[in-house]
Amino acid sequence: MSAVALESRRHAVRDPAEAIEFCHAQGWTDGLPVVPPTVDRVTAMLEAARLDPGHQIAYVAHRAVSITAEKVAINAVMAGCKPECMPAVVAAVEGIADPLWSYHGPGTSTGGAGVLILVNGPIARELQVNCGVDLFGPGWRANLTIGRAVRLVMRNVCGSRPGTLDQATLGHPGRLSYVIAENEAESPWPPLHVERGYRPQQSTVTVMAAEAPHQFYNQLSSSPEGVLATLCDDMRISGNVMGQPQYVLVLAGEHMRTIHRGGFSKADIRQFVFAHTQNSYAHLKRTNRMTGALQDGDEGRMRPLVESPEDVLVVAAGGRAGAFSAYIPGWGSKRSSQAVTKEVQR
Amino acid sequence: MMEILDPTSEPGSRAIAYAPRPRSLEGKRVALIENTKFNSDRLLEKIGGVLKAEYGAAETRMWRKRNASVPAHDEIVEELRKTCDVMVAGIGD
Repeated sequence: MSAVALESRRHAVRDPAEAIEFCHAQGWTDGLPVVPPTVDRVTAMLEAARLDPGHQIAYVAHRAVSITAEKVAINAVMAGCKPECMPAVVAAVEGIADPLWSYHGPGTSTGGAGVLILVNGPIARELQVNCGVDLFGPGWRANLTIGRAVRLVMRNVCGSRPGTLDQATLGHPGRLSYVIAENEAESPWPPLHVERGYRPQQSTVTVMAAEAPHQFYNQLSSSPEGVLATLCDDMRISGNVMGQPQYVLVLAGEHMRTIHRGGFSKADIRQFVFAHTQNSYAHLKRTNRMTGALQDGDEGRMRPLVESPEDVLVVAAGGRAGAFSAYIPGWGSKRSSQAVTKEVQR
Repeated sequence: MMEILDPTSEPGSRAIAYAPRPRSLEGKRVALIENTKFNSDRLLEKIGGVLKAEYGAAETRMWRKRNASVPAHDEIVEELRKTCDVMVAGIGD
């Protein structure tokens, strides 16, 4: 494979320091220094995934963009990925190019979505993708570089640059990188990828266009209903309330144990959340979320926050201590973009 | 000295054949492509009204995309071919 030439344009620079400044000056970075994408590093990245440089990873039809392995590898090097992360980056890129994810919306929208990437299966442990303490925080190389690589592909290959194609009004810090694994070792429940049709020994990434995580507290209750009642009260008015996006629930150690001890499965959690996050038409109209004048019966007519319980993706992850968990609203609406799971090919 | 590789790529260029523009809207059938955002139907209805009252369009008919972030789906495009002469499409927040 090493005989296959890399076709990207080459730029001569004096040394690594100049390379970093050069990349930034070209508008190729996310504002942080990048690893200079040399031929050797890019080749190692491709070899780790056994991909020829010209292989098309994905085609984004609405934008007429072909994403080749070579471009993914260059951006993965720049993001600081170790070569063994390349297959996970590739799977995530396949995910955001899937018609169900619908790139043109979350890749451009004023809504400012990040690409939430949930890693499941053996690769999460092999790559040391953090699923525990300080889940969304700094310090975890795989978490920070895999998502960064995907965002750089969006910027440099798909053209989602802030202020031009990318018109995010606010954005959020997860747009730098937004990667977590599920704590499959300690979770009492089937992992997300198994619920979505894969075998436990398969490795997957699930991508969802998403807002920032919303943390909630419940330090009082010792029952699933108690913890989830707090969650639902926090969550009921969140995201694009009328859009019915999908959601991810991230249940951390204490809440995970409390909810499991009370006998709740993931399906029970989804059903409870679906039933307790609905809003009355009257409230939605009074708060200028639903159009139209108040009508008789609006106090009792309910609109679900999500289309169905299946639109709540439940993930066990986060530190063992602390009675906190989080919910993450998807971008916009399920109608516009859906979570997509792809197997990591190795 | 060292060499680094360019991480960018541009969309491939392709020729787009534009439909011939009518010289006048007199008697034309106008399709309005609604993008599902709040009030986009009301805005397009007003535009359609102006095209009929001031420019002599024969009729307007509204079509609804699946959502704002995708092109009009194939069924719409097929019907458009058969039933209208010009269309109004756009996106706005």
